[in-house]
Amino acid sequence: MVIKKGKFTIEGLENVQINIDKVTSSDEEKEEPQGPTPAPDIHELRDWDMRLLKRYEPVYSPICDLCCYCTYGKCDLTGNKEGACGINMEAHQAREAMLRTLTGAAAHAGHGRHLLNHLIKRFGADHPIDVGPSDIKAPVTQTVLGIKPETIGDFVPVLDYVEEQITQLLATTHIGQEGSAIDFESKALHAGMVDHVGMEVSDIIQISCLDMPKSQADAPLVDVGMGIIDSTKPVLLCIGHNVAAVTYIMDYMDEHDLFDKIELAAICCTAHDMTRVNPKAKVVGSLSKQLKYIRSGIPDLIIVDEQCIRADMMRETSKLHIPVIATNDKVMYGLPDRSKDDIDDIIRDLASGDQPGVLLFDYDKVGELAPKLVMKMAPIRKEKGITALPSDDEFKKLASSCTQCGACVIGCPQGLEIDKAMEAAVEGNLTLFEELHDKCIGCGRCDVECPKNIPVLDVIEKASQKVIREEKGKLRTGRGQVGDPEIREEGVNLVLGTTPGVVAIIGCPNYPDGSRDVYEIAEEMLQRSYIVVTSGCSAMDIGMFKDDEGKTLYERYGGGFLKGNLLNTGSCVSNAHITATTIKVAAIFARRDITGNFEEIADYVMNRIGAVGLAWGGSTQKALSIGTGCNRLGIPVVLGPHGPKYRRAYPGKAYDKDKWNILDARNGSVHNVEPAPEHLLISAENKAELMPLLAKLCFRPGDNNLGRMLKLTHYNDLSEQSLDVLPDDWHIYVRSEADLPLAKREKLLKILEEEHGWKIDWDRKKILEGPARKVDISFQPTNVPRLCKGAVE
Amino acid sequence: MAAKELDTTRNAVPFDKANIPGPKMAKAVKAEVAGKFISKAKRPLLIVGTAAGDDGVIEIVRTMAGKGIPVAATGSSLKRLKEEGIDATYVNLHALVSYLKDPDWKGFDGKGGYDTTIFLGHTYYYASQLMSTLKNFTKIKVISIDRHYHPNAGQSFGNLKPDDFIKALDVVVAQL
Repeated sequence: MVIKKGKFTIEGLENVQINIDKVTSSDEEKEEPQGPTPAPDIHELRDWDMRLLKRYEPVYSPICDLCCYCTYGKCDLTGNKEGACGINMEAHQAREAMLRTLTGAAAHAGHGRHLLNHLIKRFGADHPIDVGPSDIKAPVTQTVLGIKPETIGDFVPVLDYVEEQITQLLATTHIGQEGSAIDFESKALHAGMVDHVGMEVSDIIQISCLDMPKSQADAPLVDVGMGIIDSTKPVLLCIGHNVAAVTYIMDYMDEHDLFDKIELAAICCTAHDMTRVNPKAKVVGSLSKQLKYIRSGIPDLIIVDEQCIRADMMRETSKLHIPVIATNDKVMYGLPDRSKDDIDDIIRDLASGDQPGVLLFDYDKVGELAPKLVMKMAPIRKEKGITALPSDDEFKKLASSCTQCGACVIGCPQGLEIDKAMEAAVEGNLTLFEELHDKCIGCGRCDVECPKNIPVLDVIEKASQKVIREEKGKLRTGRGQVGDPEIREEGVNLVLGTTPGVVAIIGCPNYPDGSRDVYEIAEEMLQRSYIVVTSGCSAMDIGMFKDDEGKTLYERYGGGFLKGNLLNTGSCVSNAHITATTIKVAAIFARRDITGNFEEIADYVMNRIGAVGLAWGGSTQKALSIGTGCNRLGIPVVLGPHGPKYRRAYPGKAYDKDKWNILDARNGSVHNVEPAPEHLLISAENKAELMPLLAKLCFRPGDNNLGRMLKLTHYNDLSEQSLDVLPDDWHIYVRSEADLPLAKREKLLKILEEEHGWKIDWDRKKILEGPARKVDISFQPTNVPRLCKGAVE
Repeated sequence: MAAKELDTTRNAVPFDKANIPGPKMAKAVKAEVAGKFISKAKRPLLIVGTAAGDDGVIEIVRTMAGKGIPVAATGSSLKRLKEEGIDATYVNLHALVSYLKDPDWKGFDGKGGYDTTIFLGHTYYYASQLMSTLKNFTKIKVISIDRHYHPNAGQSFGNLKPDDFIKALDVVVAQL
């Protein structure tokens, strides 16, 4: 008999029940040893944080110079002054950054808890974890908590830990109690790490229970774009990040052969997860499409769950007689709870418009009600003649009524020149609006600002109908984790540097110059054999563009963990698989013990694995928490020009040599190394500046010659391509002539001699003097003294 | 009819409407005043973003560089500066503000930090946030000679029409 966790009643013995909590594995002695920090509290990884923060000193960019937290009143902290509670600007900004990180972490963990409770109820706590071909099933959880979950019920104490940490961290924001900016930073890093645990739980349990792709490199391709929806059919639109309720709709539609009769589409991460469950569903697009698509009037019914959902939903949908069903208690819009009511009664009240929306927490009812209601709504809305966008005549009148006052421009987060586009549209020229459409993030601030009450967003959308109709791309559905066999195959290339690096393009669509940028960034790095990993909104936007042959990047590049491949891990919570991949490389390739051993693994990742994150359009708190979690694991992150609004960054100072001392784990000797990675969190103004920066942040002290040569090749090439110059610091990454790109070796040697005074033996084309350090293939870089041979704890 | 006088202090409201940082906001200055402040700086640094390569703007960069003011080229501005034969040092703006707040940074020439920074040609919201770092954590003077009012600068033009902006830059140059 196999003993499982749970409650057992012994027959024949009345009122006797045995509760079995933790089941000890019979082969526990074979498990790897417990590391030093299982389930660490706030302070337990503080030493590691201080190592990071000593090198990457936080830089604050306050978005508001006041503290408005308490009833002492608003405190002016300008110039790093102290407020009434004694907190200064620096600590307050660190607190703000931590609070935003916590918000993101809570969003993912809250999502995870909701999903876990739901899935345990539906499938049982003993439902096994199945993530695909992996022995290390939950790498982040194992590294942070020191446990190896086997069933979804094993994640209950994992989320208990996450929730406890979030509570403890949140408590530190009360009045001014924590007076140290650097300790708030340590807390922010802790929140970021905890976030990745919460994300991992969320995605593993849904992968395991909902039959999503499991480490599947050739996961199905699905349609993406505003132009893919057949609006002649009833259109059911889901918005949010939690697939729980939507699965019931898909099950019902499958059982009743409704997929040909109803267009089931979604926006944001629910779209990812829907298509992972059933590729018949469609992806309208990212967060920036939300208001635009609602305003199009195409949806006949909207289902919302949680996270990136607009707060003005009910106002927008009510105008267009689109009923809303809210399915999660994080978003309730003041609606009545109809969970216990009869389905037909609810349908009647929504179809008539008596109620603009309802709360429905009974997912069996959601599954049946939504398809029935959308089929009823479509003819009703058609009969009412609801037209959302302006007619051609109305469009002309609206454009003509614009006085070019510029209020929309100063209201626009992007500063888009809407006034000029209006002027051109009056003359019949729509090209400026068509160009605006991709750059517009669909926030609607222009509408609010217009003194003439022009619905500016509607005007932009009306003017862009031609390009919107052509918005038809392909997205490879979220594949989940990178499997252990893939790590075995590729890990060596990654660590030795023969794969130049991993670029993880994640985050929101608040791009500085439109979504085409992320497509072009991905394409450039793929062509250079980087592994490009993506998720969430960025993954969708990458799939929106095609080459001359009409193919998207997902159709042109493989989806495996191999150089030159493009991996969509899935929704926002799938970002945990990106950090998990670096942990797996440490475990499988380098044979490091990962259990409860966060610091050692982060140290390994930072010194060996050339991975860099890019949140080019990062705007949500979740993007900050994801990035901060990457940072604690030693992965640098780049933000777009909106990034400084997160208020804090971790730039490095290459000129400060003392910051780049690293130990050799073989004997504890101190070595001054090149600044690699130079920054931990930094922003870039535009794509041209970004490209060489991405390549540079893939340098690691542990690179071998071949790896360094490839990385240097791409760094120099991208700088010449984007900025028309060789970077002024390329030489500091050269340790010997073997690091130099072969094709340009002679030219670069000449520059080293003439401009930097290095001594070259030209007969042997060998560097005699110049580099700060030489390559030593057995060098074991570490930032952690206790990891050095002979170190005393 | 007499030509309208150029007044760069008008319309001094944040270009991003809600970008109001707090009690201390930039003083709106006339172009002559901005030019005089720059000319009096002991260790000025001109920080130019990608839009500094635009026609009419690049000329002031050339003139200021010609007057011996070191130029930090951020974003992708270096390409255009190089085409124009202007000597400049590429640097990431976010990294640069972290250097500027470091009292031990020796500057691009190794002679020490800078007492005055002049911002020109930047993505508005990006520069605004990074000026906030200088405003709150350094004693460095921040003069914006960009087209839009920057509340986080010490001194800034108000929001200008494109033609007035170029005229204002000419006035600044005349003071150097």
